[in-house]
Amino acid sequence: MSSALVTVILLLGLAVIVVRRRSVAIGLVAAQSLALGIGALGLAGGRSGDYLVASFVLLIKAVVLPVLLYALIRRTPEPRLVVAANGPLVRLAGAGAVALCAGLLMPPLGLGNSHTEHAAVALVLIGIAIVVARRPLLFQLLGLIVAENGLALLAVSVPGGLSYVVEIGALFDLAMVVTVAAAFAHRIHVELGTGDTERLGGLGD
Amino acid sequence: MTDLVPVLVVLVPAIPLVGAGLALLARTARQADRLAMATAVVTAVAALILACTAFARGGQAALHGRWYLVDGASGLLLAVIAVVGLCSALVSPSYLRTSGRSWTTAARSRSLYYAALFVFWAALLAVPVAGNLAVVWLIVEATTAASALLVAFTGRRRALDAGWKYLVLTTLGLSVALLGIIVLAIGQANAGHHDLRALDWHTLRLAAHTLPKDPTLIAFVLLLVGLAAKIGWAPVHNWLPDAHSEAPAPISALLSAALLPTVLLIAWRVKQILEPSVGVGTTRAVFIAFGLTSMLVAIPFLWQSLPWKRLLAYSSLEHMGVIALGIGFGTPLAIAGVVIHVAGHALAKALGFYAALPLLRIDSDAGRRAPTGVAGESPTTAAAMGISLAALAGLPPSPLFLSELLIVLGGVAAGQVVVTAVAVLALALGFLGLLHALIEGVIGDKPAHRRRRPERGQRTTVALTAILGTGLLALFAAGVLLVNSSFVETLTRGTL
Repeated sequence: MSSALVTVILLLGLAVIVVRRRSVAIGLVAAQSLALGIGALGLAGGRSGDYLVASFVLLIKAVVLPVLLYALIRRTPEPRLVVAANGPLVRLAGAGAVALCAGLLMPPLGLGNSHTEHAAVALVLIGIAIVVARRPLLFQLLGLIVAENGLALLAVSVPGGLSYVVEIGALFDLAMVVTVAAAFAHRIHVELGTGDTERLGGLGD
Repeated sequence: MTDLVPVLVVLVPAIPLVGAGLALLARTARQADRLAMATAVVTAVAALILACTAFARGGQAALHGRWYLVDGASGLLLAVIAVVGLCSALVSPSYLRTSGRSWTTAARSRSLYYAALFVFWAALLAVPVAGNLAVVWLIVEATTAASALLVAFTGRRRALDAGWKYLVLTTLGLSVALLGIIVLAIGQANAGHHDLRALDWHTLRLAAHTLPKDPTLIAFVLLLVGLAAKIGWAPVHNWLPDAHSEAPAPISALLSAALLPTVLLIAWRVKQILEPSVGVGTTRAVFIAFGLTSMLVAIPFLWQSLPWKRLLAYSSLEHMGVIALGIGFGTPLAIAGVVIHVAGHALAKALGFYAALPLLRIDSDAGRRAPTGVAGESPTTAAAMGISLAALAGLPPSPLFLSELLIVLGGVAAGQVVVTAVAVLALALGFLGLLHALIEGVIGDKPAHRRRRPERGQRTTVALTAILGTGLLALFAAGVLLVNSSFVETLTRGTL
């Protein structure tokens, strides 16, 4: 996969932590997944038929999950935007620092392409950062998908690619988790009138 | 008997999956209950036959197939999951009759509850026999979705919070574990192994010494850290107390007694396959670090007056730490202790969670504060709570007393004297905390404002207390025979 495309995929992940609107964030994750699918297809030449199947699985993910998430935001309208604990620049700086640390501290993983390795690990960490930094349920869900995209980036870059069984299984699992999470988000919205996770926290010792 | 293994390996998870589908078709509550009971009994029988087949092979090498692997550890976990799953299914009608509120409409809630329970149970039963690391990961991820719905089954705000936290944190943890698996796949691909078989337990074990050391070390750490989030090891255990205390009691039992040790089995297998590349010292250090941290973090909570199920949740944190410590020591004595501990913890913890059902009926506030003087109101419930807590504390003749003793001796045999000393101190403090809860909760003073209510519908509690209590005693006796057995010797050596 070209360095430029990998950089675009990384930047789209970083953008998710900055934007305010849920619909824009879903669009960014859809674009990221699409770029990943196209990049994977570009690598399919000279690889096995299994790999081609795995690439199509990624493209399907790029379409199915955003549709599911758009349906969710239509069912859970927010009366007003959830105010973030930190401003967009602070969030961006935090996520940027995380991505930079991944680049500096991560030893080689054996892929022979340090740019892809660093970008993939950075995306997993950015996904975790999104879950930590963003209060709306939907953004936390998007954080999971961004982390998943980081894993997919590394998986398609494995020489010969990962088995399609793993790719299809991972997509099935992710779709299942997203569906359950969407059901949670809807139920929580019914219960609280908002998807702000800050309003949920009543547990702890 | 081994000829049946390939068939049983498919049947064991398939039966509850079919049961889940049928539960959705049930038209009445009675029909759903009966269907669930029948499915549970057939599933448990099939799983126990498979477990017995694994046990009967004693110290022999694992059985391998294209998709499966059956060894002594599979047998142990299959037996645990079968027994706890069966008991949870048997007490579920009692829970559903009195649960009151649920996430969905009353008409659908029972069917959905059983469907999710059986999908969760099927996934749990598939993990110990799955022969491939990537496939195991996919199955564990599937347990998350099904069990998260069950954790939030009541639909109450706190349950939704617990379910959401569980879903997000464990999914993130499993993402980190998958990163470790992909790093392993890169190492295998560079060695010319490209297909799914490259990640078979058996293949990885054979290839471990050829894997590059540094990336494999990263893979090992990522896998362990990721799995730790699902096992509930400190410091990544935040979801555990909330999920265990907010889930329906039969589900809490499955989460604590079956899910946690099942995921721990994966961590144990990862240790076995990667040890030749990463080094015994490193793998041992990681397990001991997680084990000791979990035990130490649990202590302050075991000393607090916590609601019953929350106390049991923190006890799970302590016991998963004890098991990690035993695996970390890795000596035959410690491994014998691990085997007894996994089984003993499952029986005692499941009984404790089942006791929460009558406890909440006699004291509706028991979900929010520590119980006191239960014996004065319900001797049956008090007996179940007492046996469970005494066993979990490690009071002789609890099998956990024997297992902890073996793990401590195993630690000394491994030359880990300082670690063992800290562990003994942590165990003693944990013991005192649980003993205090036992005295206060069971035979302490009954609050003056609470009137004694007639005990109703206690037959299930009595039966489960008798069966699981007898099981605990039998395990103590069997545990003594386990030391120096070929079964433990093979587990210590590694069977993959």
